[in-house]
Amino acid sequence: MNSTKVGPRTVVTLIIVGVLLIVGGFLISQATPLIFPVEASAEARQIDQLFRIALLIGGAIFLLVQGLLAYSVWRFRARAGDLSDGPNIHGNTTLEIVWTAIPAVIVVVLTVLSYSVWTSIQSVKPDEQAVEVQGARFNWAFTYSTPDPRDSSKTLSFKSTELHTYIGRPVRLEMRTQDVIHSFWVPAMRIKQDVIPGRVTEYRFTPVEAAGETYPARYPIQCAELCGAEHGNMIAWVVVHQTEDDYTAWFNQEVDKVLNPPADPVVRGEGILASQVYPCHTCHVLNTETLQWAGNVGPALNGVGDRAAGPRSTATGLSAADYLYQSIHEPNAYLAPGFGPLMPQLNIPECETRSIVAYLCTLTSSGQPACTVELPPECGAGAPPEATPEATAEGTPESSFDPSAPPSGEGASNPTPEATAPAADVTAEATAAP
Amino acid sequence: MASISVPVGGVPTQAAPRPRLRASDFLRWSVDHKIIGVQYMVTSFVFFLVGGTLAMLIRWELLTPNLDLVQTGSQYNSLFSVHGLVMIFLWIIPMFAGFGNYLVPLMLGAKDMAFPWLNAFAFWLIPPAGILMLGSMLVGAPEAGWTQYPPLSTLFSGDGQTLAALAVHLLGISSILGAINFIVTIKNMRPAGMSYWQMPLFVWAILATSIIVVMATPFLAGGLTLLILDRIAGTTFFDANRGGDVLLWQNVFWFYSHPAVYIMVLPGMGVLSDVLTTHSRKPIFGYKMVALSSLAIALVGFTVWAHHMFTSLQPALRIPFMITSMIIAVPTGIKIFSWLGTIWGGKIRFTSAMLFSLGFLSMFVIGGITGVMLAMIPFNLHVHDTYFVVSHLHFVLFGGSVFAIYSGIYHWFPKITGRMLNERLGRWHFVLTYLGFFFTFFPMHFIGMLGMPRRVAVYLPEFQGLNTIASISSFVLGLSTFLLVINVIISLRNGRIAGANPWRSLTLEWATTSPPPATNFIGDPVMFPDPYGYGMPEAAAYLESIDRQFGAPARPPVTDKPAPGVTVVESGD
Repeated sequence: MNSTKVGPRTVVTLIIVGVLLIVGGFLISQATPLIFPVEASAEARQIDQLFRIALLIGGAIFLLVQGLLAYSVWRFRARAGDLSDGPNIHGNTTLEIVWTAIPAVIVVVLTVLSYSVWTSIQSVKPDEQAVEVQGARFNWAFTYSTPDPRDSSKTLSFKSTELHTYIGRPVRLEMRTQDVIHSFWVPAMRIKQDVIPGRVTEYRFTPVEAAGETYPARYPIQCAELCGAEHGNMIAWVVVHQTEDDYTAWFNQEVDKVLNPPADPVVRGEGILASQVYPCHTCHVLNTETLQWAGNVGPALNGVGDRAAGPRSTATGLSAADYLYQSIHEPNAYLAPGFGPLMPQLNIPECETRSIVAYLCTLTSSGQPACTVELPPECGAGAPPEATPEATAEGTPESSFDPSAPPSGEGASNPTPEATAPAADVTAEATAAP
Repeated sequence: MASISVPVGGVPTQAAPRPRLRASDFLRWSVDHKIIGVQYMVTSFVFFLVGGTLAMLIRWELLTPNLDLVQTGSQYNSLFSVHGLVMIFLWIIPMFAGFGNYLVPLMLGAKDMAFPWLNAFAFWLIPPAGILMLGSMLVGAPEAGWTQYPPLSTLFSGDGQTLAALAVHLLGISSILGAINFIVTIKNMRPAGMSYWQMPLFVWAILATSIIVVMATPFLAGGLTLLILDRIAGTTFFDANRGGDVLLWQNVFWFYSHPAVYIMVLPGMGVLSDVLTTHSRKPIFGYKMVALSSLAIALVGFTVWAHHMFTSLQPALRIPFMITSMIIAVPTGIKIFSWLGTIWGGKIRFTSAMLFSLGFLSMFVIGGITGVMLAMIPFNLHVHDTYFVVSHLHFVLFGGSVFAIYSGIYHWFPKITGRMLNERLGRWHFVLTYLGFFFTFFPMHFIGMLGMPRRVAVYLPEFQGLNTIASISSFVLGLSTFLLVINVIISLRNGRIAGANPWRSLTLEWATTSPPPATNFIGDPVMFPDPYGYGMPEAAAYLESIDRQFGAPARPPVTDKPAPGVTVVESGD
């Protein structure tokens, strides 16, 4: 390298090469929209712009290094028969300072730009729509809360398997996990945040109108942290409505479903399972006319009514309905033979748990329910909202256990079904002789 | 440099008989660093083939968006978990330990490592660890990835997870013992007259690597101990519901595992410094900067670990780790430009060793650029745990480390075996590896950015096109490995006799017979004061004296075409 005697030709060459590198880097950076999903959030626009700059610089460095390499390989190849050595050059302090300083400046620039984008995307926005997220193997669920129309001092909440929002409204997610670490990632929004046991993490984004999109637009939510066998299938959807009115229409419809649930607990229970707001379907197998679950982690649920009334009842001393209730409420109190303590504490509200029990009672080989469940009046249509057990991350399983709930230690010592739950409304009638 | 005089050995020509080693010598306990070095290399190469087979199964599964090759997601999880663990802990790290074992004493003109018995012991920890690791697949395979994040690895994985953790534990002990040995050897066993600034850069790289190993690996051992206790003794270090903390593991794990990236790359950079100078016949450009940048990378490498946790770390802590991660790009850049300065103006010989080193430069720089991108928190939030990261890490560890290993094999095989590898097969190996590698991993950048997470067996159908390109290229890459295997087998029997110094290199390992005698040198070897003094008349005289002493190689290994009138013993071509 002849930089010890920098002549005008060297300067001109350097300028031409520099300009070519920047032009090349610029052309490469124009590929940015091709290698990203649609820009569906304000954050996505900022991040893509940042990436465009990084790709310009990175592209120029790529061209510089590969260019120098290709040129050297061609220009300085040993000719056939030439066994001599190259020149005995040990270095050049000026050059070494240059190629230390330029990368240093580049990383300072990228750091400052990244810092400003990052502070902007994680800042608290005005009027954020708060939604709770529950991650569980292998399912996402979203809890919306609103003042109860029947009693405005209370909160009415409902669960959805889709995250609904609308253009321009900043969203703040409060995220918890039921079991392992998950990671909430919406590629279209460009943001990812882990959902960590023992902590509540936050996720912010503001949907924007994407060019050429039809609304309501649907964007996949991927779990991005390995969480087990069905990790790849842990996908949910963000639904972005075009206007607030569209969103409100969906919201009111969901509130209406909560206010007017089906009267029959069996129908209601089946509806809850079919909605997939709880991750039951990801681990259990169940084949009915309406439900096709293919989980391979937990016990199959076909015929669970028979088993609850038969061997499980014998083993636990509980009635069929109480056994099913306990299996949902305290999954690890009794483990079905051959299965480990893998089912998480799901903290399903009381009325919903009982409805699910009512449905499970009907899963028998004969088609005759193995047990029946009656819902108390407060679970009925128009009833005031029930207290939802808080899914706090710190909460131990015991802290959310309601001692007045029917299955209890005393129940096990008393064989009379009616006496098992005198104060409760779950009545079990074993059709199969225990 | 006028003070350099031509040192000429006063030892009679070819005094030592060629050592006759049998294959069985390598299956036994031996404290000879050369035998241990070969034991390391062959063992780890076997595990490379195992890990590569797992990689082929992974790519086969990913040909389609649905499960087809494997029956369940769990099986797929165990494929990539064991693939990662094997490649890192049983291939790259022990392979470079093998290079270090064989070469460091020779490069220092020493008869053996400082602690020969400890050296053998460190190696013999590897086979049982390898058996444990592969055995883990038979008893409830590990499914939590090579990162083994709890609570997935503690509460939700089979017994294989415990075996794998024990295997990594053993391999960590092996690493630490080896590194202590290297540090003491390099400190105490340099020949009279060789200062630190006259050591070959490979020795510098091994020194920097060993410092990292000694400082970082005990943290891995601590973390693994807690993990194993959580799994088998009912402790709850990582169980958030019972007073533990899942991020504790991530911090401890990455406090080791980020420096581990440099444990896997720095020795490769050392190989590169030696190969590029020898085969372009030019001194290294900026010796001190290259040597010191290894140390800088080693030290700064300890401050960047949490950039692997940008999506889990508490937000306020992320900024400092972005800054340190950016800083480490500077010494890495110094190395790349110094190597370019080295070949610039040289007389480049396109040997297979040189091709793989040039390939390293060409591919590693891509890993470097994407590394800086990954350090940018906002972009990281999008691509963390996606195929972008898979691509980045393979550009560093395959485009970097494995290319350097290949380069080192072609460069030092003649010293180790006394025979040359076949250059034509070597060139085919390079071309197929280079193209196969690039088209396997470059499309993964796009796959990740477009929205496909890593560690999934099923994916959205729109990613199938790019995945198919990656899979088919990976099969080419996988098959190309066998060109090296075939080359080694053929050349061991029929390769051209190498002579002492076939590449006309100035470092001390070439100043003895190939393979060296049991004591490495007959008498004290004579050192050339500048290990990269190519282009000096004194260097040419020194090389001639080596040739006089040990016999010149049959012909210069520049080209495969035999020079007229020279009889060539070669049947591999």
